[in-house]
Amino acid sequence: MEIEKRKEGGVLIASVRGRIDAVTAPDFDQAAAEIVAAGEKTLILETGGLEYISSAGLRSILALAKALKAREGRVVFAGLTGGPKNVFKISGFETIFGAYDTVEEALKNL
Amino acid sequence: MTSLEIARPAVLENLEFFIQGLSRWLADGGMRPDCIKRVQLAVEEALVNVFRYAYGKGSGMVLLRGRKTEDGLFLIEIIDQGVPFDICTAPAPDLSCTITDRKIGGLGVFFIKKMTDEIRYRREGDSNVLTLVVRDKDPGVTPFKDKMAQAR
Repeated sequence: MEIEKRKEGGVLIASVRGRIDAVTAPDFDQAAAEIVAAGEKTLILETGGLEYISSAGLRSILALAKALKAREGRVVFAGLTGGPKNVFKISGFETIFGAYDTVEEALKNL
Repeated sequence: MTSLEIARPAVLENLEFFIQGLSRWLADGGMRPDCIKRVQLAVEEALVNVFRYAYGKGSGMVLLRGRKTEDGLFLIEIIDQGVPFDICTAPAPDLSCTITDRKIGGLGVFFIKKMTDEIRYRREGDSNVLTLVVRDKDPGVTPFKDKMAQAR
């Protein structure tokens, strides 16, 4: 799993590539801890390069979302596709977080 | 096709080895890539449950076994000698609550059920035997279990 961070219009965008499973979820947690420690409130998680996610990954994302929500921030998703899109849909994550086809669309709706 | 059999200590470090072996076997059996991903998810969730909870603070083995039936069903068994755990009786998570109320965890068993056509559990001697039944099918085709429900 790889995470690349950038800012667009003051909003943090993190692009996640590869697999978030029980083995790699701690790497995501580490990146999430850095985002929280930097005082960020809003995050767009760009998931077009995400190939696979299991419940361990969803647990990590939920923990990050709870931390941002506590400071009145939020996490939204952009570019979900394939298997991960299905996982987000059936777990209800797509609905409770908000998911957009592109980063541009997510930025407009923040 | 040959059957699958991988036995290793029940620790997270072996997850990748199990999943790679499983994926190769499924591909050799002609399963389509998107269906392989679904099975990877179900088996990861089942294995991680065993790694984390089956042996408490002790240690033990886990056996991953697979075979394909003549009518095209993939039967995948996850076998451990840990504390009895009937996955079929695990409660469903509440999927409708807000981020604040949503519990962290509880989705693993839900995914195992959603990604397979059927799951079976039996306690055999000192072993938990979880069987995942998967039929490779085109997206959009009514799942086997739904067809069974409609036929009733």
